[in-house]
Amino acid sequence: MRLPSFATSTDERALAGVCAGIARDLGVDVTLVRLVFALLALAGGAGILLYLALWAWSRSRPWWAVVMVIVTAFLILDAVGLPDRAVWGIVFVAAGLAVAWRKGGSFRMDAPLSYGGLALAGFGAILLLMGSDAPTHLLGPGAVAGALLLIGGPWLWRLALDRDAERTARIRTEERADVAARVHDSVLQTLALIQRHAQEPRRVASLARRQERELRGWLYADHQFQGESLLDALSAAAADVEELHGVRVELASAGDAPADNALVLAAREAMTNAAKFSGAEEIDVYQEVTADEIAVFVRDRGKGFDRAAVPADRKGIAESIEARLHRAGGIATVTSKPGEGTEVELRLPR
Amino acid sequence: MKRRVVLVDDHGLFLAGVRAELGDAVDVVGEAGSVADAVPLIKERDPDVVLLDVHLPDGSGDAVINAVAPERPGVKFLALSVSDAAEDVIAVIRAGARGYVTKTIAADELAAAIERVAEGDAVFSPRLAGFVLDAFRAGEEIGGDAELNELTPREREVLQLIARGYMYKEIAVRLHLSVKTVESHVSNVLRKLQLSTRHELTRWATQHRLV
Repeated sequence: MRLPSFATSTDERALAGVCAGIARDLGVDVTLVRLVFALLALAGGAGILLYLALWAWSRSRPWWAVVMVIVTAFLILDAVGLPDRAVWGIVFVAAGLAVAWRKGGSFRMDAPLSYGGLALAGFGAILLLMGSDAPTHLLGPGAVAGALLLIGGPWLWRLALDRDAERTARIRTEERADVAARVHDSVLQTLALIQRHAQEPRRVASLARRQERELRGWLYADHQFQGESLLDALSAAAADVEELHGVRVELASAGDAPADNALVLAAREAMTNAAKFSGAEEIDVYQEVTADEIAVFVRDRGKGFDRAAVPADRKGIAESIEARLHRAGGIATVTSKPGEGTEVELRLPR
Repeated sequence: MKRRVVLVDDHGLFLAGVRAELGDAVDVVGEAGSVADAVPLIKERDPDVVLLDVHLPDGSGDAVINAVAPERPGVKFLALSVSDAAEDVIAVIRAGARGYVTKTIAADELAAAIERVAEGDAVFSPRLAGFVLDAFRAGEEIGGDAELNELTPREREVLQLIARGYMYKEIAVRLHLSVKTVESHVSNVLRKLQLSTRHELTRWATQHRLV
């Protein structure tokens, strides 16, 4: 929220340029503004005070401005003919709100509200409500409602803005996590393989070519496995893992469905993990499609591991499997015990 | 006593590989590469077990079983292949094969599978378990003989674990059963697969292609 600057204008100024500045900001004729000030000046000198207040504001003296605006309001209300009691009430409410607003006035959700300001406003409201004069019957409740709106309004507005910002940030974080998982699965793995086969130029070249193809496919296609069946995509992933790591992957299936990116990539990562770390020569992959769920199981009979002993910087399971499937709306469960192999269970509702 | 085995497969390389891998575990008494060669050979040698490729140049594996079984009821068949369509594998099982394994199976596991089949048990590879679950699921509401046309929840559970790569003894531990009970569940499924009258099991093939 941007407050009007009330900056003075040097172009058409008569005195300090306050009227000219307002006219420029609002896009109205400067004479009209001057007329308003002149009329207000008749109300016990309110116009003059308001002029000074705005001038103080433009000179970055907000406190002076606030005080003078309050006095101006007092003068105007008095001129309108309200009883003293109501005038004082309104002034207190306004002053209290000014303090409260200024304290919490950065419009941040976590900015503290000024309890002193609120108390002052409350006192003013009571003054208003206590008055038995006719106009206060309208003014009192109106002032309280206005006060609530003034305090709550910016806060609610800010809340809505924050929610938007938060959503945008979350989407961005998720995208980044997706990219990170992707890079971890493919590029980092390939780089590791290239280091290991540094003495075999042909192998290195073929690994690089393959990685390039894959990255291109991913960068320039929205959905890598669009139109492919899950079984086909898993077969391809299994063949890749067999070729890259020299293990056997047995693929079984009951039912088939269109391939889901996250599911295929998570399953592929699970196979890669099994191939690299379990020591097992064979990996069993089973895909089951039922009316309301797609499940993929990746199992090895290798050495297994203790989840608690896996270093936190090893992102394979947490990021590439669990978080990835979670983002897609599914659940990944990794069951492993040292000596008893590992099973990764991926479930995605249809 | 070593099991007497006949290998039926049209890939010479694969035959040589299997023979070498099985080594002394079994006694290979004959080899054939087609339906026409296999039928008289099996009848003549009367082996304990026939390792049968699902696809042969002049027909499919079930043709061999259908021709041999009436005369040699004691011969057990174990189907194997690389990657066949579910309906072909199911057809061979329904013709009477006691199990199905993929050609990528490790040598010791193949020897164990041959032994198990020779003893009259069923051998379900993960892939076959998946195929069977799929076949029995299609149109669960179909009527007829429920005992034959449907899997019990327990059988389903056992098959799912087989499909996920669990071995019988692992399944037994997980489901708190004896290995014998697991085996009998598997044999039951095999029996249902062969005797089920549900036309789904035959019609399923065409459905499956459409999915």
